[in-house]
Amino acid sequence: MSSLVILNVANGVVTGAFFVLMALGLSLILNLSGIINFAHGGFLALGGYIAFALSKYVGFLGALLLAPFLAAILGLAIEWTLIRRLYGRDPLYSLLLTFGLAFIFQDGTRYLWGAQGLPMAIPAFLAQPISDSLFFVTRYRLFNLAIVALIVALLFVLLRHTRFGIRIRAGTLDLETVAALGVNVRLLRSFNFGVGILLAGLGGVLAAGQFRLDPTMGDDYLMPSFIAIIVGGVGSLGGTVLGGLLIGIATGVTTVYLPSASEAVMYVMMAVVLLIRPRGLFGEEGMMS
Amino acid sequence: MTGANGTALSATGLHTFYGKSHILHGVSLEVAAGRITTLLGRNGAGKTTTLRSLIGLTPAREGRITIFGQETTRWPSFRVAALGVGYVPEGRRIFPNLSVEENLKVPLERSGPWSIARIYDLFPRLHERRHNRGRQLSGGEQQMLAIARALLVNPRLLMLDEPSQGLAPLVVREMFRIVEQMRSEGISVLLVEQNARMSLAIADHAYVLDDGAIVYSGPAKALAADEERVQALAGAGAGEWQADDSPLNGLSERYRNA
Ligand SMILES: Nc1ncnc2c1ncn2[C@@H]1O[C@H](COP(=O)(O)OP(=O)(O)OP(=O)(O)O)[C@@H](O)[C@H]1O
Ligand SMILES: [Mg+2]
Repeated sequence: MSSLVILNVANGVVTGAFFVLMALGLSLILNLSGIINFAHGGFLALGGYIAFALSKYVGFLGALLLAPFLAAILGLAIEWTLIRRLYGRDPLYSLLLTFGLAFIFQDGTRYLWGAQGLPMAIPAFLAQPISDSLFFVTRYRLFNLAIVALIVALLFVLLRHTRFGIRIRAGTLDLETVAALGVNVRLLRSFNFGVGILLAGLGGVLAAGQFRLDPTMGDDYLMPSFIAIIVGGVGSLGGTVLGGLLIGIATGVTTVYLPSASEAVMYVMMAVVLLIRPRGLFGEEGMMS
Repeated sequence: MTGANGTALSATGLHTFYGKSHILHGVSLEVAAGRITTLLGRNGAGKTTTLRSLIGLTPAREGRITIFGQETTRWPSFRVAALGVGYVPEGRRIFPNLSVEENLKVPLERSGPWSIARIYDLFPRLHERRHNRGRQLSGGEQQMLAIARALLVNPRLLMLDEPSQGLAPLVVREMFRIVEQMRSEGISVLLVEQNARMSLAIADHAYVLDDGAIVYSGPAKALAADEERVQALAGAGAGEWQADDSPLNGLSERYRNA
């Protein structure tokens, strides 16, 4: 019984790590540009499929490195042509647009790669369990966690210690003043969007290696990621990371004791957190502080 | 065109709206290079709207703006600022979630004499508080930070919107001293103020704005000599300011809540 709990906590942490990647990207885009990106799950799937296509030529690890950047470039093209026109408008416009994009991504990947799930080959050394007693934990899961931890650390360094990151944090509260200080806020928003999509694309490659590819794979992460942002506190990146992991663990553990509630548990968590702390666990007035 | 006799900025016939309300009715003004030009006027006259139009935050619907010989009328504000225009907004608009040092890293790094190290020389108080959040600063410190931030763009033209607002008298004097110092650095200044007396004391040229139109333009000295007009401009607060000669290096803790 207890090893079953450990198994599900471990599973939950790994799933939570995917939520973290998704939620951080969503949060960057939401905070700086006020866009709720419903196509984020589509970008995740796209990252996975691009990696699938590339892996024949450059292997899994090569694809892991390249695919997120290709997804980000596509994201930049879409931001440049479509999304930027909606900045500063009623959020309803961007909701409709990104909702539509989500469907286009889904049908596009279905058209190109088929509706059935595709397995993504991972290197043999990653497919083994970490030990005989912990036979249910593959090295790949630890690898996933290590990559996510590394990326989160890099993102935090970017936001705290580079001018680009500092300007993003300043812009989340007062973009107008950032612009009046000479900063090209169009580029700032574009790069910020690109970083968000890069994280989603990376999540897609990692998820493809763990589960498999299918056109709707991103949908499973979208709602939990939004909830992770709300639970952690909108605008707090540390809170978003914690929120993602908590939601992952809660769903993982509930799967053991009350499988039918494993989805509902995250909504319950959100309701409880919001009742006690309406701003979320780490939400404070200063966004991204 | 930026020489001693040149013009840093010239605006003609600006009409600016907020939605349907027509705020500026054909404002024209000039800022001479290397001089302090002050724009005075009572509450709601349109001073802030004028500055916002000039920097491009609230673009004028009609009219023409030329800055350092470039027509900037339809430019987004980041391009105007990148031309060398420093902007100190009304209410300071410090980034409250960032530390003092981070606030200083937001502006575009245009090349020029100003660096964060030099800012700390000029404002030792900001150096002491560099790890504090913007929201933890006193009003005076926030105003210094707002000016410092604008200087880091290495401006050739500095536009300040009521920098003395809400500050204690000593800090106000310090602030005006710094604006004068900027002129001696060769920076052209457009100073919007409610404190008519002090602005006129340091300015070279003065404009008075009323109901979105320029109603006076002339040498600052001439306006300062017209006691009746100054009284009208300064309103109730005219006599309140008292000279205080105690020396002030940086900003005192005493004015934390100024
Ligand atoms: N965002 C806005 N929307 C609508 N009307 C506005 C807005 N901002 C200012 N106004 C109006 O425009 C007019 C000019 O305002 P502005 O802020 O330019 O005046 P001001 O001279 O700077 O005043 P103050 O000395 O109080 O700062 C006022 O009547 C004001 O009510
Ligand atoms: Mg004003």
